[in-house]
Order: sequence, then C-alpha cells, then structure tokens
Amino acid sequence: MNKEKVIIEVENVSCRFGPVTAVEDVTLAIEEGTIFGLVGSDGAGKSTLLRTMATMIPPSSGRVIMGGLDAVTQRRQVKRLIGYMPQRFGLYPDLTVDENLAFFMDIFGIPRAERAKRRERYLGFSNLLPFADRPAGKLSGGMKQKLGLACVLVHEPRILVLDEPTNGVDPVSREEFWEILLEMKRSGMTIVVSTAYLDEGEKCGRLALMHRARILADGSPDEIRSSFASLEDAMIHRIEETDGAHARDNVNS
Amino acid sequence: MLINPRNVQAVARKEFYHIVRDYRSLYMAFALPLLLILLFGYALSLDVDNVKVVIVDQDRTELSRDFAGRLDASAYFDLVTHLPDERAAVAWLDSGKATIALVIPPRWTENIRSNREAPLQVLIDASDPNIGTISRGYITSFVERYNSRLLVDFLGRQGFDNLRPALEGRIRVWFNEDLESRNFIVPGIIAVIIMIVGAMLTSLVIAREYENGTMETIRSLPINAVEFLTGKAIPYYLIAMTDVLVALAMGQLLFGVVMKGSFWLMILASSLYLSVALGLGLFISIATKSQLVANQIALLVSYLPALLLSDFVFPVENMPRMMQIVTWIVPATYYIDILNGLFLRDVGMGYLWPSYGVLLFMFLVMAAVAVVKMRREGL
Repeated sequence: MNKEKVIIEVENVSCRFGPVTAVEDVTLAIEEGTIFGLVGSDGAGKSTLLRTMATMIPPSSGRVIMGGLDAVTQRRQVKRLIGYMPQRFGLYPDLTVDENLAFFMDIFGIPRAERAKRRERYLGFSNLLPFADRPAGKLSGGMKQKLGLACVLVHEPRILVLDEPTNGVDPVSREEFWEILLEMKRSGMTIVVSTAYLDEGEKCGRLALMHRARILADGSPDEIRSSFASLEDAMIHRIEETDGAHARDNVNS
Repeated sequence: MLINPRNVQAVARKEFYHIVRDYRSLYMAFALPLLLILLFGYALSLDVDNVKVVIVDQDRTELSRDFAGRLDASAYFDLVTHLPDERAAVAWLDSGKATIALVIPPRWTENIRSNREAPLQVLIDASDPNIGTISRGYITSFVERYNSRLLVDFLGRQGFDNLRPALEGRIRVWFNEDLESRNFIVPGIIAVIIMIVGAMLTSLVIAREYENGTMETIRSLPINAVEFLTGKAIPYYLIAMTDVLVALAMGQLLFGVVMKGSFWLMILASSLYLSVALGLGLFISIATKSQLVANQIALLVSYLPALLLSDFVFPVENMPRMMQIVTWIVPATYYIDILNGLFLRDVGMGYLWPSYGVLLFMFLVMAAVAVVKMRREGL
C-alpha cells in the first residue's frame, strides 16, 4: 500500500460506553480515492466507528486522522474536509429542497457565483431539480436520502462518510444513489460507507467485515470472498468461526 | 472560540424560514402581543372612578338634596338614581347596578341642626375588595369634607368669620399625575411580551432540532455553540423588538401613555432584558430536548414570574418576605423598574444604572450557561 496516498488513519481505536465496548482496537488505513465499505451485523459497531471518523464522538483510546488532521483536536478543520451523513439524516421538513441545500451552502460559504452551478449539479445528480420547491418533509424515503447526499456533497468534501445511506430505500433509488457515489469516486473523492446490502459491498474497492466491535476481515471483495461462492457465504463463515472460538473460550474459562 | 458571522447568518436565515412556515409561532410572535395589549389595556384597568351610587333620601330637606347634589357633581361618584326605601337600594347592590347605597334617615337635618348625632347609612358592595376599599375611601373623605363644610357654615352663622380649617393637605401627585394605572400597565405588558417571544418561543427551537434529528446534522457541520445560539436568537430578537415598538405605539395611540424618558435608554434596557430572556429560553431548550417539556418549564420560569412577581400586577411590598426575595432574581423586576423610571419619572442612567447592571449581569450568566450547556451536548 502506498503510504503517500493514505487519507484516513484509524489507529488502535476503542470506544467504550460504560460496560459496553462498541469498537475494540480497530486499526485501518484507507487510501485516497477508494470506496471503503463497512459491512457486518446490526450492533457490530459500524456506526460508532464511522462516528469517530466524522468527529461526532471522540474514541476512548486510539487516534483517528482524517486527511492529516486529528479528528479530536482539530475537529472543526476535519468537519470542513468531510461530508457526514448519519443513519437518520436530519433534514428540515418544513424547509424546501432548495432551502435545505442553501443552508449547507451558507455554512460552507460557497461563493455566490458558484451557488447556482452547485445547485444545478447536485440536485441534478439526484434528480431533485423538479422538486426544488417541495418541503423536504413531503419527499419519499429515497428522495430524502438523495437530498441528504446532495447536502453533504455540496461543499465538495475530500472524504464522504455515509452510515447505511440506502437502508430502507427502494432498489431503483439505491441504484441511482450508487451511481452518484461511483461518479464521486471517479472525481477522486474517498468514500467510507456502511451497508447491510452485500450487493453494494461488491461495488466497493475495499471491504471490511465488522463483528462484535472488531474488524474480522479487510480486503478487496475478491479477497474476502476467497474460495467461497459468494460474499455472503464467506462472511457467514468468518462470523461463525469467530463466534465458535468465542463460545469455546467461554466454555474453557 | 472564533465566531464566523457567515455561520450566524446561515442559522438565522434558516430560523426565519421556520418561523414563517409555522403559523403558530407567527401568531405567538405578533398576534398574541397585540391581543395582550388590548386585553390588559382595556380590561385590566385598576382605576376606580364614577362609583355608582344610589340614594334613599328619607329626610327630603334642602340639606339632604344639597348633599346628594354635591355627591353627583363629584368626579368620583355617579348618582344613578333616588330610591324610595332601603330594600330597593339593597336590590340595586345585589344586582350589581350600584356599588354604594346611601340611606339618609328621616329627621337627619333636624338632628344636625340640634346638635344630635346624625348617622348616615352607607352600604358598600365589596365583592371586589379592590373596588370596595377604594369606594370606602372615596365616600369617607367625601362625608368628612361635607362635615367640615357644615361646621364652617355653622360657625360662620355664629359670627366667626374668616375661618379656615386648621390643617389642609394640598396634595399634588408628582409622578403619574392622573393616577392612571395604564401608565404602569404598558411597561408591564411590554415586559410580559418580551418574555413570551424571548423565552417561551425560543424554548422550542433547539428542542425542535433534537426532535427532528437535525441536531446530529448540526453537530456534523463546522459551526460552534456561540454561532449556533446567536443565529437562533437573532430572529426572535428582531421580532421581540418589533413587538416592543408596536406596544409603545399602541400605548401612545390607544391609551395616551407617552414615555417621558429617553427612547434609546428604553431600547437599551429592552435589549438587555430580551437577551436575558433569549438565553433562558435557549438554555431550557437545550436542557429539555423536548418541545412539550420546554414549553411548560418556560411558562413556569419566564412568563409567570414576569407577570406575577415583577411588581406589575401585584405590588412587591405586599408580598411575604420570602416572595420578595424571590422577586430579586426575576429579570422583569429590574426591567419594569427601569421602564417605570423612563415612562413616569423621566430619570436617567444616574438613577437607573443599578437595574441596568443587574440585567447585564443576568445576561452574561445566562449566555454563559447556555453556551456551556450546548458545548457539553457536543456542539
């Protein structure tokens, strides 16, 4: 791996909430310009790990470096660099599509001359231009997610962090959503995305399987699949292997 | 913590959209204050004049007619009618058509002329204790004055000329010359309106972000607590100041309440007091994260104290010691003190600076508490 191109460094990160350990000793290095997929069962700690990258929570131990900046001590600069879309992305339901987008452009100080162009580009991407005057609360689930994506893309971040962005979205919208992500990747953006859909995992340049707060496997979809028939089989095998070891540990102790 | 005006402006603009879209907050911001001014201004008049009096004159002499005539001529009384007997008078009191019934007994004049006691029966409806007490004061002093007039007349007839009563109080009301309660009702309403817009409305704004899940979005953006809270406060600041100006204008046009003091001192005081209210409302909103709970708490700690514990409706001197101490931490107490000074007494900073100082201190404390709380919540 070319060290020059690494843009996200997660070093020995653990996150504990009281007695619960959500992320345990995770180390990752993500290269610029890749789509990095995070897959795993519910409660595996995917959201927590993404939230440390998005500066939303500080890790209990370890370091997160985003584009050379520390996600804890240089929070504000990191926020300018990234676009983060939480699982339940809050848009203002009483504001129109345009007004929601304008708020993000205001915060990131998009110059007046640029604004119309960006609006055209990102609402156009997500096929939302015809609905520009509709209140966000009146959009369908898929359209809401696409508006969310347009909002986090509008300042053209170097890194995009997306937490299960297509959860509960219809297949057509999901397809459109990924089209946008692939387009962004081609422009050089680094994307970290968690997903419950393994067909989406196939589209990632790199995949990490997370289970019980740890990363079990990390590599290209092909590497993860290895000798198995599908990604799904490979993952289930890995998880069962770990859980088996875990169960044996419990019996021995 | 650096402040980027761009972020403040972005939040303020967004907040304006929210207000314009939500007819309930628009109503609270503009219609409610107007309604309050009209209600308080017209209905809550604490003045008592033209007390309605009925007279049962069983004496029917020149003197008793003179007594009734003078009573009617007084600005404080309104002689409604003469009635034949006491029972009819009581019926008028019962029905509320009269507040005072006067019974002049038979041989009243005769008793006076022959130096005997000449009692006069006065019945007062005190079902409203305020009006009852004031009416009693009016009628007592009227009877006393009539008494001394009789005495002077009598002595004059006995050959004592140039008689003057020994003591005569020349009372001149120095501030609020007309003793109009409206003159202090207008400042009181302004204080209440500022609390409604400044604290009650803003108590909803951050709770709403939490309920919509947009707080997570805000936290992910490069914006700090001071920028966020300032942006949230600005639209409500502008609305409340508009309300203050409207209240001032209405007070002047409808009730003839003219502020004597400096307009700019009034604006300064209103800004300070409003800022305290904004800090309080925002803090409640951050702490509760629920619009319903926030609204209840804001009602309890902002609106009600401004109404009840600020010397506006109930005089602080009449409160028990404990309650008096509570009024010291009610911002409206200091604001109303300033407004009364500006509206009625035309005093300046020389007299009012302690109240300005307290408001400034309260603002700094409230702002600090709100910002610290917001930062603790991860912004």
